[in-house]
Amino acid sequence: MSEEQDAVLEREFDMLMAKAGADIPADRKAGVLAGYRDMKRMAALLRQPRSEAAEPSNIYCLTGFARSRQS
Amino acid sequence: MTAKTDLHELSIAEAGRRLRSGTLTSMALTQHCLSRIAALDPLLHTFVLVTKERALADAEHADRELNTGIDKGPMHGIPYALKDIYATAGIRTTCHSRLLLDNVPKEDSVVEAKLKAGGAVLLGKLATHEFAIGGPSFDLPFPPARNPWHLDHFTGGSSSGSGAAVAAGLVRTAMGSDTGGSIRGPAFYCGTVGLKPTYGLVSRRGVFPLSYTLDHCGPLSWAVEDAALTLKVIAGHDPLDPASADIPVPDFTCGLGQDLAGLKLAYPRSFFAAQEGLVAEVVTSLDIAAEQIAKLGAHVEEVKLPDFELFNACGRVILTAEAYAIHEKNLLTRPLDYGRYTYQRMMVGATISAADLTQAFRLRRELSEIVNARVLGTFDAIITANGLAAAPRFDEFPTDVPPKMTLQTMPFNVTGNPSLAIPTGFSKSGLPLGMQIVGRPFAEPTVLRIGAAYEAAAGWINNRPSLKLSTAA
Repeated sequence: MSEEQDAVLEREFDMLMAKAGADIPADRKAGVLAGYRDMKRMAALLRQPRSEAAEPSNIYCLTGFARSRQS
Repeated sequence: MTAKTDLHELSIAEAGRRLRSGTLTSMALTQHCLSRIAALDPLLHTFVLVTKERALADAEHADRELNTGIDKGPMHGIPYALKDIYATAGIRTTCHSRLLLDNVPKEDSVVEAKLKAGGAVLLGKLATHEFAIGGPSFDLPFPPARNPWHLDHFTGGSSSGSGAAVAAGLVRTAMGSDTGGSIRGPAFYCGTVGLKPTYGLVSRRGVFPLSYTLDHCGPLSWAVEDAALTLKVIAGHDPLDPASADIPVPDFTCGLGQDLAGLKLAYPRSFFAAQEGLVAEVVTSLDIAAEQIAKLGAHVEEVKLPDFELFNACGRVILTAEAYAIHEKNLLTRPLDYGRYTYQRMMVGATISAADLTQAFRLRRELSEIVNARVLGTFDAIITANGLAAAPRFDEFPTDVPPKMTLQTMPFNVTGNPSLAIPTGFSKSGLPLGMQIVGRPFAEPTVLRIGAAYEAAAGWINNRPSLKLSTAA
């Protein structure tokens, strides 16, 4: 990444942290920012070619849901 | 085998036979474990709490019951320990965190309740990475556990105390949890067996969650049979765990002692062989293990799996999002009460979008279908790498940013399949190496059968770390 890209990434990160209401301790910021960089790379990998019919895992099972609600 | 010094080398089954024949008492077995803990744990830091009084009372009770013919099953009178994220009624449960130093649950986790009802003997609560993530950390209320094969090396995590305690012979079986490899990682680095059961087989109720859809509870044990017997006690449907599977519990020991004739095993060598950080001796060790498994009668065939990075990305996004959701309030209001690595890993969850998480769940279904329909539709099991290199030294970890882990375990948290970690030898530096045996959902008996046959043929189980006792044990 170029210095300019790094700066853009950090601004984006600061915005997301502000939106979350997080005041990150200064000496911990580098580690969270590094994690954000890696998370962006991983999030891009999730975008595979698929149709709108491709449903997620963990779609509700009503019998299980009803069971836990009754307890 | 002498009466005292080798008691920790008794398998759960053999100890059970002796307890029932009257040639061993639970009290003797328990006192032996407690004295080893007293002698070795100051070096290893595997326990955050030793429940000595409870253990002695449990042992006395078990002896009394066994003497009168009451038999509560395979763990009756057998010592065990719990990762300190399992709730224990009246006993502090800290998650190795400053945030829960005073947490004393009112109720037992289901696993603890089942072990208690099965007459087992609780030795104490074991070190973990804080809230089962992060680590290794030196800024928490308790020190990190040390690897019994070399005290300067990492144990793996997050079930760090469980792996190290079992490897050191402090306890024969210990409970861990596995969200991205937290049972299989310590098993790999410490040279023990580690079983991540099928998602839904063991209740998660009362175990502090890290990621609702990825968390699995299972044992780390010295031998495959020990893991099978522990599983026998803890498995089963829990109507109050929304993810619990309502299916019959099989006999997990039914395949032990059999050869592997008739089984077809997939060996996805390309899945791990091109990974960054892979050490040649790991590949050699796996190739030899695959050959040995073939000699035991199985048909072993190389196959291809989707890119590891797809599984890893899918699992990491889900884990980080769910962990953040669980810890959001405390992360925002008490950041410095978390250890550095824990905080840094969890806060990334605030950056994940709803679309990211939904795409991860869509990919999860696709990957699960490939593993289960395409590969395990044809093969009985998969054998693959567990870690890419032996345990690193503690001083190799960075101080500012969390380390990247080189485990190959996340794929089977994503798919939920059972996966058994088992040692396959040692590195040139004398540290353990290992593999995973992955089965069809709820096919633990097959996975354990393969593991037990390999374990007996390979003989790695006969090697223990050479730790010097500071007092007689």
